[in-house]
Amino acid sequence: MNALITVIRKELLDLFRDKKTFYLSLLMGPLLFPALILGLGKLASNRISTQMEKPLELPVIGAENAPSLINYLAGRNVVIKPAPKNPEGEIAAQNVDVILSIPKAYAEQWRASEPAAVEIWHDSSRDDARIPVERLNNLLENYSRTTGALRLLSRGVSPMSNQAVRTDYKDLATPESRIGQALAFLPYLLILTGFLGGAALVIDATAGERERQSLEPLLATPAARGQIMSGKILAACAIGLFGLLLTLLSFKLSFMLAPSLGIKLSLSWLQVAKLLLVLVPIVLIGTSLLTAIAAGSKSVKEAQSYMSMLMMLPILPTIILMVNPMKNQLWQFAVPFLAQNQMILKIVRSENISALEWGVYLLCGFGLGAVLWLIAARRYHNEKLAISA
Amino acid sequence: MIDVNDLHKSFKTKTGTVHAVSGVGFSACDGEITGLLGPNGAGKTTTLRMLYTLMGPDSGSIAVDGFSTVTQSFEVRRRLGVLPDARGVYKRLTARENIAYFGRLHGMREQDIAAGTARLAKALAMEDFLDRQCEGFSQGQRTKTAIARALIHDPKNVILDEPTNGLDVMTTRGLREFLLQLKAEGRCVIFSSHIMQEVAALCDRIVVIANGKVMANGSPDDIRTQTGEANLEEAFVKVIGSEEGLHA
Repeated sequence: MNALITVIRKELLDLFRDKKTFYLSLLMGPLLFPALILGLGKLASNRISTQMEKPLELPVIGAENAPSLINYLAGRNVVIKPAPKNPEGEIAAQNVDVILSIPKAYAEQWRASEPAAVEIWHDSSRDDARIPVERLNNLLENYSRTTGALRLLSRGVSPMSNQAVRTDYKDLATPESRIGQALAFLPYLLILTGFLGGAALVIDATAGERERQSLEPLLATPAARGQIMSGKILAACAIGLFGLLLTLLSFKLSFMLAPSLGIKLSLSWLQVAKLLLVLVPIVLIGTSLLTAIAAGSKSVKEAQSYMSMLMMLPILPTIILMVNPMKNQLWQFAVPFLAQNQMILKIVRSENISALEWGVYLLCGFGLGAVLWLIAARRYHNEKLAISA
Repeated sequence: MIDVNDLHKSFKTKTGTVHAVSGVGFSACDGEITGLLGPNGAGKTTTLRMLYTLMGPDSGSIAVDGFSTVTQSFEVRRRLGVLPDARGVYKRLTARENIAYFGRLHGMREQDIAAGTARLAKALAMEDFLDRQCEGFSQGQRTKTAIARALIHDPKNVILDEPTNGLDVMTTRGLREFLLQLKAEGRCVIFSSHIMQEVAALCDRIVVIANGKVMANGSPDDIRTQTGEANLEEAFVKVIGSEEGLHA
C-alpha cells in the first residue's frame, strides 16, 4: 500500500514539474470546449435569424405574367429582382439561392381557374439555401390558399369544406430537452476528455519510463509490479478526473455567461456531480487500456500511434445515433461509449435515470475497467517489459 | 552471499533462438568484490538481470543470502542494491528526490532516508548537485545518483552492471574507492566489466564469461597460474580464446 501511494505521489510530482505538458493537458479542454460549443451555437442561431428575417431577394423569370402574385410577394418582405441571364449557372455558382419562374401560360390558367403552374428553381443539395426555399414555398402556398378560398366564397361555397382534416402540432419538447439538442457534441467532448485526458501521463509513465531506462531500476526494488502499475494508473486517473472537473466547471461558468449570447443553457451542481460520476468508469477504462498498450509496445512512438484510432472510439456512438436514432433501452447502458453517451444526454436533458440503469451502467463500466486493469497487470509481469535496449 | 548455480537462459528472436547464458555458475562471498569479466555480448547483463529477479532463468538457481530469486523474489530484492545497465534517473526530480523515491519504495522511514542520503552523498562526493533537478546532469552525476539510489536501503549485497561505463578518469577513481569501501563494510559486491585493468585492480575473485559460459573462475593469481601467463591481459586472451571485444 505504501509503495502504491509513493508511486502516485512521484508520478504527480513528476508531471507537475513538467509545467508545459501539465497546463496543456489540463487547461486545453476547459478553455477550448465551451468556446467551441457556444461559438457554434451562436453561429447557428445567427444564421437562422438573419435568413428568416432579412428581406428575401428573389429573381423572378416572367414576372410580367403574374402581377398580382408579384405584388403579394413584394408586400411580404420579398425584394423582386429581374431574372439573371443564366439562371441555372447563377444557382450553380451559388450567387442566387432560389429563383421563381412564372411561365407564359400562368395568366391563361389563372383566368380559367385552373391550377396555375409556377416553378421554384433551387439546388436541394445546398444546405444554406434551405431556409430561403422554404420561405418562398410557404408564401406561395399562403397565396394559393387565400385566393382559392376567395374563389370558393364567390361561388357561395364555404372554404372550410375544402379542408377535411386540420392538423395541429403540440410540441412537448421541454426547455431542457432543447438544451440536449444544442449540446449534441457535449457527450463526445466529455467522453474524449475522460477517455484520453490522462494519455500523456499514462504513456509517459510506462513506455516513456522504459525508453528513458528508468523502469529497470524501478522494477528491481521490492515494490510489487502490480502496485507500481496501479500507482501509475491511479495517478493518471486523478489527473484525468481533475481535468474533467475543470472542463465541467468551465461549461457551467460559460453557460452562466451564455444568455448574453442569446443561448439559454444551464448546468446545476447536481448535474455536474452526476456527470463526473458517469465519467469515472471511462477514465478508468482509458488509463487501463493505455497502460496495457504502453506496456506491450516497444516505444512511446508505437504506443502513441494507437491514439488516432482510440480517438475515433468515443465518436462512434454519436455518429451511429446521428444516422440511426434509437430509443433508450437497457442494453445500451452496458455498451461502453454508447452508455456514457446516453447517460450524459439524459443528465443534460434533466431526464430521470432509474436505479436499474445506474446499476447496469456502473457495473458494466467498472467491470470493463477492472478487466483492462488485469490485462495491463498481466502485461506488466512480462519479463520483457523492463528491457529497453 | 550470492550463489549462482548452472544458469541457462535463451531468447527467441526472428532469426532463431539465442542462448544468452548457458551454464553460468559462481559464488560471491561477503566482504569480497567479485568481477564478471567478458567481452560485449558475453551474457553478463543477462546473468545479472536474473540475479536481481528481472528475469527468471530457464533452468538453474540463484540464492541471495539463502533466498531463491524465483520463489522468494521479494526477499531477494530487499537484500540487493542494484545499479542496472539501464540507469535512467528522473530528470524532473532532484537527485535527493530520486534517492528518496527508491528509499520509500523500500519501505524506509523518512528520517532513515535523510540519514542515508547524507551518508551516500558524502561517500560519492555529490553534495554540490544533490538538490538540483537531474535534467542536464553529466554522465558521472547521473551514475552517482543512480548508485546512491540503489544503495539507500543499506543492502548487504550490491550488484553493479558496468558501473564505470562512460565515466572520466577522476570519477572512475572515486568510484573504485567507493567499491573498496563497500567491501570493507563487509558487503558482497558483484560488478561486471569488460575492462580488464579495472577488474584486475579491484577484484578478489574474477569470473570470466564468454559466449554465455564461465571460462575461468578464481583470484587473479589463480587465473595467472591456470593459464601459465604472468601478464593478466595475456591470461584473459588465452582464457577467452580471442581478443574480440576485450578492451585493455
